[in-house]
Amino acid sequence: MATIIDITEEKALEVRDFEFTYASADEPSIKKLDMPIAKNSITALIGPSGCGKTTLLRAFNRMHDLYPGNEYAGEIIFKDRNILTPNEDLINLRIQIGMIFQKPTAFPMSIFDNVAYGMKLQGIKNRTELNDRVEKALKDAAIWKEVKDRLKHDANGLSGGQQQRLCIARAVAVEPEVLLFDEPTSALDPISTAGIEELIVELRERVSIIIVTHNMQQAARVSDYTGFMYLGELIELGKTEELFVTPKEKLTEEYITGKFG
Amino acid sequence: MNTIIDRLFANTTKIVALSILLIVAWIFATLLQHSMESIQALGFNFITESKWAPNLEKFGALPAIYGSVVSTFLAMILAVPLAIGVAIFLSELAPEKLKAPVGVSIELLAAIPSVIYGMWGLFYFVPIIRDVFGGIGISMLTAGIVLSIMILPFMAAVTRDAMNTTPDILKESAYALGGTKWDVIKDIVIPYAKAGIIGSFILALGRAIGETMAVTFVMGNVHKISMDLTAPATSIPVTLANEFTEADSGLYYSSLFELSLLLLVISFTIISIAKFYFLRRKRVA
Amino acid sequence: MTHTQKRIIVNNIVMVLSTLSAVIGIGFLLWILSVLVINGVDALSWSIFTEEGAPPGYEDSGLKHALIGQLMIVGVATFVGVPLGILAGTYLSEYGQKSKLAETIRDVSDIMMSAPSIVIGAFVYAIVVVPMGHFSGWAGSIALTIIMLPIILRTTDDMLQLVPSTLREAAFALGAPKYKVITQVVYRGAKAGILTGILLGVARVAGETAPLLFTSFNDNFLNTDMNEPMASLTVTMYNYATSPYEDWQKLGWAAAFILSMFILSLNILGRLFIMKKKGK
Repeated sequence: MATIIDITEEKALEVRDFEFTYASADEPSIKKLDMPIAKNSITALIGPSGCGKTTLLRAFNRMHDLYPGNEYAGEIIFKDRNILTPNEDLINLRIQIGMIFQKPTAFPMSIFDNVAYGMKLQGIKNRTELNDRVEKALKDAAIWKEVKDRLKHDANGLSGGQQQRLCIARAVAVEPEVLLFDEPTSALDPISTAGIEELIVELRERVSIIIVTHNMQQAARVSDYTGFMYLGELIELGKTEELFVTPKEKLTEEYITGKFG
Repeated sequence: MNTIIDRLFANTTKIVALSILLIVAWIFATLLQHSMESIQALGFNFITESKWAPNLEKFGALPAIYGSVVSTFLAMILAVPLAIGVAIFLSELAPEKLKAPVGVSIELLAAIPSVIYGMWGLFYFVPIIRDVFGGIGISMLTAGIVLSIMILPFMAAVTRDAMNTTPDILKESAYALGGTKWDVIKDIVIPYAKAGIIGSFILALGRAIGETMAVTFVMGNVHKISMDLTAPATSIPVTLANEFTEADSGLYYSSLFELSLLLLVISFTIISIAKFYFLRRKRVA
Repeated sequence: MTHTQKRIIVNNIVMVLSTLSAVIGIGFLLWILSVLVINGVDALSWSIFTEEGAPPGYEDSGLKHALIGQLMIVGVATFVGVPLGILAGTYLSEYGQKSKLAETIRDVSDIMMSAPSIVIGAFVYAIVVVPMGHFSGWAGSIALTIIMLPIILRTTDDMLQLVPSTLREAAFALGAPKYKVITQVVYRGAKAGILTGILLGVARVAGETAPLLFTSFNDNFLNTDMNEPMASLTVTMYNYATSPYEDWQKLGWAAAFILSMFILSLNILGRLFIMKKKGK
């Protein structure tokens, strides 16, 4: 019953027959879901709260494994392998698939150390390399000018919008192939939101992006593809401009015209 | 009528609340007053003199101070790593099913009176120390170990509480960059909870230094500074517990009161540092 | 070996060490608990509750004197300390609120809660025992009251602050005077929390030994006159345990067991009250 567009370009990820059940639940929260994610493009996931969009997002980097008892079924193909197998190297996976959260998550350390953190985890100790890559990441995240004179300051002194850019810098610094955004602007003011959206669009050059948002306008503004989820199922996946103008599914139409949700 | 009762009620509560401050001031004043004879007679020598011989009217508190410091130091050295280990286990490691029961048992053990720990130490730990290290088993070392076991539940519980204040989303962010559990604990959880953890350690230190019953059983009350940890020793509270009812001269009494005052000042200082510097109370919103 | 592999190895080592320290810590505590239960149950008998203390070697000796003394000393302390603590806590939460005075009282009480209890004993010795000329049950109760007061005060303060201010406003809007709002609405809203505070406060002072050593002192026989030296479980336990007589040591274990069970029950009960409240 779902309408899923064929993606012609190369795929970054492919979800096949995916099911997810939380430890505390009897019923799966996501049922039999198939979804391709195009490379170097932005895919937005929309849908009413509780539809499973964040649950799906957190499966891509196996965040659910932090809490015991959660169960996956089906496959998510990334670089020719199923990443849902028990012997998947989660550390490596998470280096390759980065994540940005609903709220800015500046670590309790300096601005520099925040950005350098992922690299240090990988064992990069060379000072000049660290300096160069931190500078580059901060420039990529369009925050270099604001922080270059206070790199040693505590990151928690930055504003919310700046902290979220810092988190993006931290994530891109390890050069991931995919970036997951979980409602990245829900805690920000409109001006910071516009800045982050601009940044996400620019990042598409280098990474594949999946963004969960509760804001349909945001999905329409930034994404190339949009997936609409409802009650744990993917109802429709299409090119963003088509999905918002001529939705194929009745449920999608009702949702984007504000009949529910 | 209602206004009168209202005012009466308000004032009663205020007077009772103020009485706390009054009692604390009264405690300090009374201890000071009863210490005067000793302070005047012995002056600064009281804390630098190492001879304590009531029959010769010699009162040097140095051995007791030394014993308090060393036994507390030993207790902290042993308890801090264990407490951190237990706290990491309880907050990050233990399976969900174990977290609650183990956590609650640790909290309940923190409620067991210190006299019980002392008694256990005397009957079960003294023989072990005697067999392993020789001597009579009643010693500074025994006191330090028993003290460390007594403060362990409290320290572990508050350290765990401090660690648990780290927001999940912050930890997830570090995992999302490829961190291991230990990376997340040492780089995120511990720095985030640092003030709380250090504060509770200092608070535990403040309690340990004033602890009487856990150590009285196993320390021996011997006023002698010895570098040998397996030799009997004394501490300020141990001296007080053993000698207060035996004091038979004015100066003896007075010097015991001066010891009490000293102990109160030391623990007030330590606890204040913990409270005001590290554990500034979070305002209830 | 890559850096990541190294990290994983370090991680595993730390996790093993942490689990090990948990096992060591919990092992020690289990050891103490089992020693307490084994010796305690072994020493328990009916005569413990029906007989008074006796010189070492006598068959018929018990802890009746210490149990009754303990109940009286702690009972009086509770009877005085609880209402005073609740009143003072009421002032902090309802009147003083965030004022400088209220904050100072909070800070001082917090410090008092961790202050060495033996010093309180010395203080009461100076202000009660010396003027009276002898040890007494009253002196013990006064020492325990001073220890209990800050505990009850702070939990009452915290628990009253948890009562939503809309509840107060609703009562004021009906024209109720403040004392009625507090006694009839706020107290009721914080009932479970205050009760828990009282239970934990009683549990805390019931285990105190040091402040009784030179206030209520001890008595090997039954005495119900609070004006006289009085036995308590804790001091009796201390005296018996440090004595060279095996039968006295045995009684000491019985006392330790009874006291611990009493204190643990109060703590568990207090937790249940709070949990029931949260469950609603």
